[in-house]
Amino acid sequence: MLDFFARNRVATLFGVTVLAFILIGMAAPGYLSLSTASVITSNSLVLMTVALGTMLVILTRNIDVSSGSVLGLSAVILGLLLNNNVGLVPAIIICLLCGALAGLFNGLLVTFFNVPSIIATLGTLGLFRGIMLILTGGKWIEELPQSLKFLAENGSIGISVLTVVVAIAFVGVWAFTRYTRFGRYFYAVGDNREAARHLGIRVHLVQISAFVAAGTLAALAGIIFAAQIGFIPNQAGNGVELKAIAANVLGGVSLLGGSGSVPGVFVGVIFMTSIDSALVFLKIPAFWNDFIGGAVLLLVLLLDGRVRIAVEKAIRAKRYGVHAPAPTSTATSARKIASSTPKPAQENTQ
Amino acid sequence: MKRIFLRWEMALFAMLVAEFAIFGAINPRFLNLSNLLYSTSDFAQIGIVALPLTIVIIAGGIDVSFASTIGLCAIIFGIANFFGLPLPVCIAASLAAGGIAGLFNASIIHISRIQPLVVTLGSMYLFSGAATVLSGVVGASGYEGIGNFPDSFTGFAYLDLASLPAPFVVLLVEAVILFVILHFSRFGRAVFLCGLSEHAARYSGLPIRTVQTITYVMTGIFAAVAGLVLSAYFGSARVDLGTATLLPAITAAVLGGASIYGGQGSIIGTLLATLVIGYLQQGLQMSGVPSQISSALSGALLVVAVALRHGSALLTSFVAARIMATNRKRAAS
Repeated sequence: MLDFFARNRVATLFGVTVLAFILIGMAAPGYLSLSTASVITSNSLVLMTVALGTMLVILTRNIDVSSGSVLGLSAVILGLLLNNNVGLVPAIIICLLCGALAGLFNGLLVTFFNVPSIIATLGTLGLFRGIMLILTGGKWIEELPQSLKFLAENGSIGISVLTVVVAIAFVGVWAFTRYTRFGRYFYAVGDNREAARHLGIRVHLVQISAFVAAGTLAALAGIIFAAQIGFIPNQAGNGVELKAIAANVLGGVSLLGGSGSVPGVFVGVIFMTSIDSALVFLKIPAFWNDFIGGAVLLLVLLLDGRVRIAVEKAIRAKRYGVHAPAPTSTATSARKIASSTPKPAQENTQ
Repeated sequence: MKRIFLRWEMALFAMLVAEFAIFGAINPRFLNLSNLLYSTSDFAQIGIVALPLTIVIIAGGIDVSFASTIGLCAIIFGIANFFGLPLPVCIAASLAAGGIAGLFNASIIHISRIQPLVVTLGSMYLFSGAATVLSGVVGASGYEGIGNFPDSFTGFAYLDLASLPAPFVVLLVEAVILFVILHFSRFGRAVFLCGLSEHAARYSGLPIRTVQTITYVMTGIFAAVAGLVLSAYFGSARVDLGTATLLPAITAAVLGGASIYGGQGSIIGTLLATLVIGYLQQGLQMSGVPSQISSALSGALLVVAVALRHGSALLTSFVAARIMATNRKRAAS
C-alpha cells in the first residue's frame, strides 16, 4: 500500500484532488459542474505554462525564479508591438523569441559563468522586471486589440484557443521528455551531472535548452496573461514563479533534479488552482486564501516527506533482509544473527 | 597582507567606495554626512534580516519566509498594542512570535526532510495568510495597517543614539553580536561544518538539528526586530511590510559572500553588501534616476558581481591547473 503511494505520487495526488473535489461538492452544491471546470481550466492556464517550463529546468537540477519577470517582460513587448500596429502573428513570434532570449541569458549565466542558478535567476528576476518597467515607463498598457482578447474567449464548448495551445504544449513536452533521446538527457543531467558528462552528453547544451524552453513557455504565459486580462499591469506575473515551483513540488518533481513527470505537474497545478476556486464556493473570505493555500502545501509536503522516509526504510529493510541467514543455521551463526538483527533496524532509523 | 587584500570583503569595500565617488560626483549632496547616516533608515531592515539569513545559508539551509514573518510579527505587535497591553509585553510577544515562526520552519524541515527552500516557500504563504487573518481580528481588514502606537515607540525610529539613527544602531549592534557568535564561538564553527558537510558534522557528533534549528529561530527573531523597526518607522503595522525585503536581503547575503551550497560566508561581508545595495538605491534616487531603472541596475549588479566572483574562481583554478601541467612537464623532461 505504502509502496504504491510512493511509486505513484501522481496517482496519490490525483486521488487527493478528486477526494477534495467530492468533499467540496458535497459542502457546496453546484461546485461540481462543467462551468466550474471551465473556470478552473482558464484560471490555471498561466500557472500551468510557467510550471511546465520550470519543470524542465528543475529536471536538470537547476531552478528558475525569473519566470515571473520574463512573463511580464514578454507581455509588455507583445502589448507595445500590438499597440504600434504590428500584426498579431509577428508580434506573438517576436514575443516568444524575447522569452527564448531571456532564457538563453539565464542559461549562459548558469553554464558558462558557473553562477548557481538560484542566484543567477534571482538577479535576472530584478533585471527583467527593470527592463520591463523601462519599456513601459511605469505605465500600464491598455487598449489591447480585440484580436488578442479573442484568443482567450471560450468557444461554444467552453474551450478557448489558448487552452488548445497549452494542451498541445503539454502533450509536446510530455512526449519530448518521455520518448526522445534528448528529452531523456534532461533526466540524466539532473540525476548525476558528472556521470552524464562522462556518458558523452553535452551537459551545457541540455541545461541551456532547459532555460530557453522555460523562457519561451514563460513568454507564452505572458501572451495568455495579456489575452485573458486585456491589459498589462506593472506587476504582471509577480510571484507566479514561486507558485510554479510549489506546483512542481506538489506534482512530485524533485528539486534535486532527475525525477518528475508532466502529468504530475498537471495535477499539481489543477490542485493549486482548484483550492482558490473552492474557497469562493465555500464562501470563505478572500483573505483566507494565502493561509489555506500555505497550510495545504505544507501539509502535503509533510505527509509526502513522512511517506517517503517510511518507504525508504521499508525498501532498505527488504534489501538487508535478504542477507540475513536462515534461522536453521549453526548455533554460532544463530547467535550472531541474534546479536546483529537489531542492528540493521537501528541503521535504518538513521 | 595578501590574505587581507584578496578577500571578497575588500572587493565589496572597493565597490562601496566607488559608489560614493560616482554618486558624489553626480550629486555632491549625496556625500553629506547626515544624508549618508539618515538614509540608512530606509534600508536598515534589509541588513537586520540578511545577517541571520547569512548564518542560515552557511549552515546549509535557506529561509524565504522571513519576508512574511516581518509582517506577521508587526501585526502581532499591533494587536497586542490594540488590546492595551504595556509596551514591553507587546514587544516580547512580537519577538516570541518570530521565534516560534522560526521553530515552526525548522521542525517542518526536520520532520519532512524536504528541501528548506520549498518548506519556507510554503510557510511564507502561511505566515502572510495568518497575518492577513489576524489583522482582520481587530477590524483592520485586508491590507490596512494597525496604527495608534504610543509615542515612545514611534519616536524610537527617529531617535539619535550617539548621533547615529536608531535603526542603524540596531543593525550595528546585531552585526557585532552575530559576528562574535559566528566567527568566535563553538556554535559558529558548528554552523560552518554543518554547511560544509552534513555527514561529516554528524559523524563528528555535532547536534546538526539543534544547530540548524537555532539558525532558523534566530532568523525569525530578527525578522520580528525588523518588523518592529519598520512599524515604528512607518507608524503602522501592515501585512506587507516585509515583502519588499525578500529579494534585497537574499541578494545582500549572496553578494556578501555566502555560498548558496553552505559552508561559506561572513557577517562583515553581508553588512558591507547591505550598504552597497542600500546606497546604490539611494544614490540612483538622488541622481534623478527613476526607480524602475534602479531596480534593473540592482538586479544587474547581483548578476555581474556573482558572475565575476565565480568567473575569477574559475580563472584561478584554470591558471593553477596550467602551472601544475607545465611543472609536471618540466619534471618529466
